[in-house]
Amino acid sequence: MSGPSLAPYIMRRPWLRSWMMPFAKWYANASGYRRLGLRADDLIPEENDTVQLALKRLPPKEAYDRVFRLRRAFQCSLAHQLLPPEEQTKPEEDTSYLKPIIEEIEREYKEMADLESMTIQKRK
Amino acid sequence: MVSPSAVAPRAFRAAQPVKQLVQKRGFAAPASGSFTYETGDAAGVKYASRDLPAATTTLAVVAKAGSRYQPSPAFSDALEKFAFKSTYKRSALRITRESELLGGELSANHTRELLVLRARFMKEDLPYFTELMGEVISKTRFTAHELSEEVEHVMKLDQKGLLGSPANLAINSVHGVAFHHGLGTPTNATSSSPFKKYLDAQAIADFADVAYSRKNIAVVANGADHQEFAKWVKEFFQDTKSGSDVYKLNEEPTKYYGGEERIAHASGNVMILAFPGSSSFTSGQSFKPEIQVLATLLGGQSSIKWSSGFSMLSKATADIPFAHVTTRNHAYSDAGLLTVTITGTSSHIAKASKAVVDTLKSVASGNVTDEDIAKATALARFRALSEGQQTEAGIEATGMGLILNSQPYQIDELGQKIAKVTPDQVKSAAKSLLDQRASVSSVGDLFVLPWAADIGLKV
Repeated sequence: MSGPSLAPYIMRRPWLRSWMMPFAKWYANASGYRRLGLRADDLIPEENDTVQLALKRLPPKEAYDRVFRLRRAFQCSLAHQLLPPEEQTKPEEDTSYLKPIIEEIEREYKEMADLESMTIQKRK
Repeated sequence: MVSPSAVAPRAFRAAQPVKQLVQKRGFAAPASGSFTYETGDAAGVKYASRDLPAATTTLAVVAKAGSRYQPSPAFSDALEKFAFKSTYKRSALRITRESELLGGELSANHTRELLVLRARFMKEDLPYFTELMGEVISKTRFTAHELSEEVEHVMKLDQKGLLGSPANLAINSVHGVAFHHGLGTPTNATSSSPFKKYLDAQAIADFADVAYSRKNIAVVANGADHQEFAKWVKEFFQDTKSGSDVYKLNEEPTKYYGGEERIAHASGNVMILAFPGSSSFTSGQSFKPEIQVLATLLGGQSSIKWSSGFSMLSKATADIPFAHVTTRNHAYSDAGLLTVTITGTSSHIAKASKAVVDTLKSVASGNVTDEDIAKATALARFRALSEGQQTEAGIEATGMGLILNSQPYQIDELGQKIAKVTPDQVKSAAKSLLDQRASVSSVGDLFVLPWAADIGLKV
């Protein structure tokens, strides 16, 4: 689900980060999902087992808010309208709520695979 | 292996920073001293160990967090099922795999008063499993997804099984009728009771903070060297919490009420007649060895195979073949319950229950020979001593004794106390039982099973 990415490489180097951040912020704004009231994690494709499990693990309030945002955005899309500026997502509200859960699930799968394929050596 | 008892180890231990109380051995202890525990205290965490000449060690953390002390329904059960799940340091899968690789067994169970986490492993793995226990006690994560995906699922399966067992329903019912709150709380909620609305991962974590706090646990090891054990406990149990503000354990003294409850059930019949009994030996007060003798005097089951036995209830119910009678004293820390359990077909239970009450009345009126009482005393002593030999009973009783700040399980004294019971004490104990209200619980075909008043018991 989380594919290979340069993001961790960039975030660990402050000079690279300060160089990339303004462009990254501009890009996120220009994508336009915030003007439909969505957050970045609402856009993650959910048609796979990992994300389905992550959605089951969401706290009830987060799950409810997510469904509301998706329905509101769908309605805007049908009506070919954007939300008024006060209802659009603010950049500081656009935090990651689903990505950490997805990463935890992937870590669990990886640990299971590692433990399945380990070789055991007898204690000396 | 002879446990260390000479002066040199004691002097060495005196130089250690850990405060230890070395237990004096009872003079009737066998040569290896294998029955008596050596105790110690590591910054508030009490521990006890005894060394046995075996290749495996059993390590148990005993917490005073049974169903008696739970703040909401099914919390003790949920805390037990959360044992060995993910901690802040490693995941549940990792814990299972690592202990499997080492050849260890991990288990947890809870009773009315205690919650016990148990690990059995090879002696040389003591450091690993002590660290694991210390981690499980203080650093379990109690995630919401584990609760909903794993714990609740297992609890529901457990409860479906219990709902189908009349014996289990009867024992929970008779405790409820006898004690109401505290000891009367059922150990597991049956699946028709609404427990899910109380379950919440954060609330269970808060309960764990107080259940696994320093003065509420004891670490007991069977088959470990005491010095080594002390070293590892001191190192790995440092992060144990010191209590919590959210919950306080409900420590009301137990009060006996009595009464009757009848439950309809389609698969099996059980009737339990219960009376106030004797509390456990480690508790100190309200321990009545004459009740234990009375329990074996009444009896019902023989320890010899294919024989119906010659205890009073066996003889009284000899011509009621489809009723199966057992007598037992359930001992808790400040109260006890003497139960006579009758299972079988409903009509035979009806006959047997009348026979049981008549037998009890004849014992109370003094109509029992001294020889019978001597036989019963010998059997009670044998049972108590042989139970102390087994790992299980020793661990739980020692743990409870340590938590309540009294001595660990000293079997020699228990055997001596039982041996000193006189026939008059037994007869007066029987009389006092019948003077108080009985607790009666009937599960099964209620059309046939009698009411307590029908068989002559006062409820």
